[in-house]
This record gives sequence, structure tokens and C-alpha cells, in this order.
Amino acid sequence: MARYQLTEADVAFAYEFLREPFGYRSPGLQRVLNVMRGLGPMGKYVIVCREPYRLWSLARLPEKRGEPITNIQDVTYTDLATAERDVFLRRWHDLGGPDIGASAGRP
Amino acid sequence: MLSIIAYTNTLSAAPGEQIEVKVGTYGARSYRADLRRIIQGDRNPEGPGYRDEAIKLDLGGTRPARRQDILPGSHVRIPDRGGVLAGLADFTLAMVVSPTLFGGDRTLFHLSGTSLELMLDDSGRPVATLGSHRSLLDHPLPLKTWRGLVLNYTAATGGFTLAVTDLGGAIIEEVNATASPGWNGSGAREAVIAAHGPGSQAFDGKIDSPALFGAALEPSETMTRMAQPDRLADDPELLAYWDFTQGIDGTEIRDASPHHLHGSTYQCPARAMTGWRWHDASLDWRWRPDLYSAIHFHSSDMTDAGWETDFNVTLPDDLRSGVYAVRLVPDGDEASAYFCVFAVRPSRSKPTGNTICFLLPTASYLAYANHRLGLDVPGTEVGMGRLVEIDRHHAFLQEHPELGYSFYEVHDDASGVFYSSRNRPVVDLQPGVKGFLGGLGSNVWQFNADTHITGWLEHEGFGYDVITDEDLHRDGLALLSRYKVVLTGTHPEYYSLPMLDAVQGFVDRGGRLMYLGGNGFYWRISFSDKHPGVIECRRSEAGIRPWEPGHGQFHHAFTGEYGGLWRRNGRSSGVLTGLVMSSQGFDVSEPYYLSSAAHDSRAAFIFEGIDATAGRAFGAYGLCGGGAAGLEIDRADDNLGTPAHALVLGSSRSHTDIYLMTPEDMLDPTPDMTGTQNTLIRADMVFFEVGDGGAVFSTGSIAWAGAMAWNNYDNEVARLTGNVLRRFATPTPFIDRIPV
Repeated sequence: MARYQLTEADVAFAYEFLREPFGYRSPGLQRVLNVMRGLGPMGKYVIVCREPYRLWSLARLPEKRGEPITNIQDVTYTDLATAERDVFLRRWHDLGGPDIGASAGRP
Repeated sequence: MLSIIAYTNTLSAAPGEQIEVKVGTYGARSYRADLRRIIQGDRNPEGPGYRDEAIKLDLGGTRPARRQDILPGSHVRIPDRGGVLAGLADFTLAMVVSPTLFGGDRTLFHLSGTSLELMLDDSGRPVATLGSHRSLLDHPLPLKTWRGLVLNYTAATGGFTLAVTDLGGAIIEEVNATASPGWNGSGAREAVIAAHGPGSQAFDGKIDSPALFGAALEPSETMTRMAQPDRLADDPELLAYWDFTQGIDGTEIRDASPHHLHGSTYQCPARAMTGWRWHDASLDWRWRPDLYSAIHFHSSDMTDAGWETDFNVTLPDDLRSGVYAVRLVPDGDEASAYFCVFAVRPSRSKPTGNTICFLLPTASYLAYANHRLGLDVPGTEVGMGRLVEIDRHHAFLQEHPELGYSFYEVHDDASGVFYSSRNRPVVDLQPGVKGFLGGLGSNVWQFNADTHITGWLEHEGFGYDVITDEDLHRDGLALLSRYKVVLTGTHPEYYSLPMLDAVQGFVDRGGRLMYLGGNGFYWRISFSDKHPGVIECRRSEAGIRPWEPGHGQFHHAFTGEYGGLWRRNGRSSGVLTGLVMSSQGFDVSEPYYLSSAAHDSRAAFIFEGIDATAGRAFGAYGLCGGGAAGLEIDRADDNLGTPAHALVLGSSRSHTDIYLMTPEDMLDPTPDMTGTQNTLIRADMVFFEVGDGGAVFSTGSIAWAGAMAWNNYDNEVARLTGNVLRRFATPTPFIDRIPV
């Protein structure tokens, strides 16, 4: 449903997110996140709780009810902020966002 | 994933009463059961810690686990009577249908015991099967469009005609064929409408009052008769007319013919639905039932799993009231235990002496039962402001939609879910499970968020009873009048009229209400003795909602009540709690900022031992978003019932821009209706006295209890809540402040 397309002007918002993945956002970053987070359900990134509040793995939702959630091999997180940054960069790439540097904003 | 699931026959039982436990395996070979008192269900290591207590009660040791099927799909079954179906010879079957989803064979009408079936194939083409012969039309029916379907049969020749007509009876398409040799239509035992049988080939869409004639009639002539339903009963050729306008509030399907081939609905299809002859002469089925001649069936309807009981638990006579669970440990693996949660309510005849009542919001639990917001609705992540977390019960729900949906889903045909039930496993009603909407931190929702309150009550040593919404609905003020003070849960959103009347009557008669949540008393629901364990909700007009019930279908079938917001029904929550729903956002929460009213002498007991300096932040911490005000928040509003004498003790401000105004407030949308910009988006903490010695304290925030549980319940939010509870639990009446 989202109409907005990522452009060079959004790079600053990407850095804003990577600095702090939670809480208040500038209107520009909120618009970027609305595009990313409104994707799905087919292929939508989710995180699966492996150990409550300690370990998560990356997975993708299926298209239909009744189908299993697909785990992405060997991608795990021990904190939520790392998960948010990693998925943000994956979606940025998937949506054709401009290059923001391979190590941009990673902790 | 879950290897075993279960449910009980009730969510509330008194000491000495028996509970039936119904268990189904999804891989477990055996299980043992025990009884636990649930104290605190949140497993967040930053919280006070998960806590339950074993109750010494022998539940029978290890049992083998068995598979019990769940067979969704609403339908009607009509047993034969007087050999009418068994003796079928020449006949005409007629109905008007509006399908809403194709895919696989979908049965419209089936006679068991003889191979007669009228259905739609995978692409929606009408198919008739008589014996082993299957005839189909070339073109699919259009979706969401009424069409006549007529099947006639002449026994002497074996010939039959299957026709599709428009609503004037003109034939759109027909096929003539011959039944398989030797088939004569006789021997039927039961007629089934909208499915081949339980869980088999269930239909999605509306069917309007089918009829069966004992003669082979021309399709156009048949439709002429169908257009005059009042005359059908006098038709000498009529074998049955299943008149869906009768008994709309129940499960019975009445045959208007003299044969009285009555039947029953199963899995609660939507009744009181507009039929093919509907027009807007009335929007209320009670005034014009003749216009509500359709039933909307769904292949995903599930209100009664119908499982057999595996064992019974007789509650000890001395068991104190509280939240409990029958815990099932599969194959000796405690980490994979399944919990069947229920309340042990006080004795039905004898008060316990406790003056504090915790009202477990089980109607709201059912409204959210098995909800799939993070699975089905992409926008959920936008509202969460973070990634969707999937725990094992979510993964199980994703793979097992047969468990049925909540009020937050649409059916597979995209129509709204009107009914939710406790007569099935509700896998998110367990301690320890995560939610989607619980905010940064614990991310717990409904039941587990409510255990922040029970955990605090236990930690503080308060004696309390627990009752459920269903207890409140049935027993009303007679039950509440045992108490001085009633505490709500974090999100008591769904209320029936008897529930609302009972709580309002309680505070009007000197009772004290502590509303420790947000978005409470919001949607109108109905219970019905004809549908035990099921609730109905039709989200008409406004409100934050995932679907609309469809034009003309706003009145509940169970009771005829106009569905939707209590605010739209003249019962704004502002009157009862002093607050109305203001906004929601599921990322971060905020503190309240105290007002000068916190210094009012009337509020002195509330702030005893707490710095009440106006303007200071209060509750800038918590397990649910990091603040006491958040997730779903309510404001005081003089125009919507907040009493003029209510003290607004503090207010949150400047929530994130994920928080938006509600549809009922957003009459003229403008871009300033977000959390950082609009002052309506706030949680208000209010206190006011009610006539005859009563009083109300309201927090207007789902996140409040998560702040109570912060730092092992040692914080100002918990202290303030305790101040209120101790005063509210005393018999000393509050002085009436209502202006005269």
C-alpha cells in the first residue's frame, strides 16, 4: 500500500535509525519505517524467540495461514537493537535504497 | 511449537466444583497434570520474575495423550423426520446464494445417506452430483453477488436440470443431465447446508433460506415461488423451507413447512445477515426479520471444538479464590508445559470476607483469543515500532488456523469475525507467553499483563477474590456487592450490558472502582444462553477496528443490540471511569506529569508518602514501554461524561507519533492528530467521588501495571496504587462532591 520510494534524501534518516532503533523518530524516518514495516505478510521479517528475552533468530512469514514460518539459517541476535539494525539494512537493500556503506551505523 | 494443547469447560469455578479438562496432542505421547496458582506470568528477567505455586492435589498421574480433531466450518444439519428425506423421489432444491470465496469443492447442500450434493467447484462453478454422476456448469458464479440456484430431478427418467438464475428467475445458465443408473434419491438420513459434513467442504458466503419441493419444477417457476416466501408454507408441493428469518438469536433452524424438518446450526455462522430481498427499510433485524433471511457461513468458523473430556478436576473446598491453571506437562518436559487458565471464584453462596475483588477480564481475553495481529496484519509492526516477536504459541497458531480466530481477524473471505469462544483451546491464554502489542520490555498483553496486578496483590499481602467477566455478566451486582473495591485488569475493553450495568450500579451504591487499564469499557458485546461460552461483537460505525460488519448488519444476532462502541450507544466510559479512549501506540510509554490537583485535599490519601509537586514526572519507568502511561491511553473529557468534580491528578504528554487519534475523534482528519502534536493524545489519572460513598480511581493506561511491577513492585506507581486500594477497601464513605 505504501507509495513512498526510498531516495538519496533518506540516507540521513537511515543513520538516524541506526544510531537509535527505538523511540522518537523524525517525520522523515517515520516515513521510511512506515514503508519498511508495512511490508508483508508474505516474506515479512520477524524475529523468533529462542530463549525468552535472551536469544532471537531471524525468520520470514509465509503468504498464507497454515503455512510454516521460515527460519533464516544462522542469523541470531542476543539483543533487540542489533536485530532492528540488521533487519533495517536488509529492508533498505531490498527496497533499493542508495548505498549507505557496508558498516553504517552498526554497533 | 506446542506438543499438547487443551481447554476446560469453564473459565470460572467455585471451590468444590468440578472442571472438565479436554486435551489434544500435537506430538506428545503422554502427559501429567497438576494444579497451579498463577501469581505472576511475565518472564521478563527485568521484572519481578515468573511465579506460580503448586497446589497439593492429585490429578491422576501420567496419562496417554490422544489426538482430538478440530473441525472448523459453520453449517446446518437437519435430521430426517417422518421419512420425508428418505423417501425423496421427484424433487426441486432451490436457494439463493452469494459466495465469498472459492477454492476446492464447497458444498451448498448435501443429503447424507444418498449421494446428492450441490456445490461449487474449485473455480466457483455450480456442480450437482446425483449418485456417481457429476454435472457442472461452464461459468463460475460471481463473488459477492446473489444468484438463484435450482436443481430439479424427475425420478421416472433420472433426468435433472441444474440452473443458475438471476433474481427475477431468468435463467443465466443451465445443464440437463441424467443421474447415474440405479440412483433414485431415496435413503437420505440428514440434510446438511453449507458443508459436506463437519470440517468437510465448508462453504464461504451467504445462503438465503433454501427450499425443497416434492416435484420437478421449472427453474423460473421455482424462483417465482421463492420470491414469495410467505406463501411457501401453503404450497402443497413444499417438502421443506428452511426459513432463516426465524429464531435468529439461537441455533435452531426452523422449517416453515408442515413437515417440521427443523435443524441446528453448528460453529456459529453469522445470522441476522441481509438476504437477497434486503433493502434499507430497516437496519434492525428485530423490526424486519423478513429482510434478514440469509446466513453467512465461513469455512473458518470455530466456536466449539467439541473435544471429549480427558479428566475432571474437583476443586478443594478450601481453595482460596485466585487465578489458577491446570498445567499439562508433556512427556516429562516442564519447559513445554501447557496451562489451562481459569479463575477460582468465591463460593456462590457464602462471601469469603475479602473486601477486594480483582475482575479478571475474560471477555476481553476471548475477544483476543488466538489473535494473529502480528501474523496476518502487516501494519501491526508499524504500530509496534519494532519487529514482530514470534514465540512458540504464535508459531503454532500460524500453522493451525483451525483453532479459530479472534475479533481481530477477518475470515478467509475477508469478512469480519463476529464470534469468539472459550469452547476451544485458546493458546495465548497462558502464563509466560509474549504478545505483539505489549511495548518495549516485557511485551506481554492481556492475561500476562494482568498478572502484574495479581503479582503485586500477592507481594503486598492483600486478601482478594477473583471473579471473571462471565461471573459478572451472570451474577451482576449481587456478586459485586460483597466487596468494597473492584480492580480491573489492564485492558477491560469488551463489555456486555449486564456487565456494564453491574459495575456502574456498584459505584453508584457506594462501591469503589480502580480502573487500572486503558481502552476500557469500549466495545459492546453480547453473551447468550443459547450460545454458551461464545461472545458476539459487531463493530459498527466508529472505533479502532479491523473490519466493519457490513451495511445493515450492525445489530447483534444474539440479542438484537446495536453493536459497536459503548460511546455510540449512549454509555460513554467517561461516566463510569471518568475517561474515554484517546489513542494507542505500542512502542514506548511516557510518565504522567502531576497537576495542581494532586495537592487537592481530596487526593491527599492518594499521594501519602509521595512527592506531589505539580509538574514533576511520575512513573517514568516500567516493563511495558518504559513508562506508566502508554500502549492504549484514555483522557478525561467533559463532553463525554467525565464528572465535573473529577480531579485530573496527572497527565502524560508528547507520546511518539505512532500514537494517533481514534476514528471516533478524528472527525475531520488533519496532519496534526499525532502524539507529539495533539493534546488530546494523553493518559489522564483521575479520581472522583460517586454518590452514596463510592469513588473511582482511573489510570487510563494499559502500561500502568507494568510500572507497578518495576523494581520488584518497589516504586511510586505501586505505592500510589496501594494508597488508593487501602483507602478504597475501608468502609468509611467518600463524601459526595457532585454539584447540586
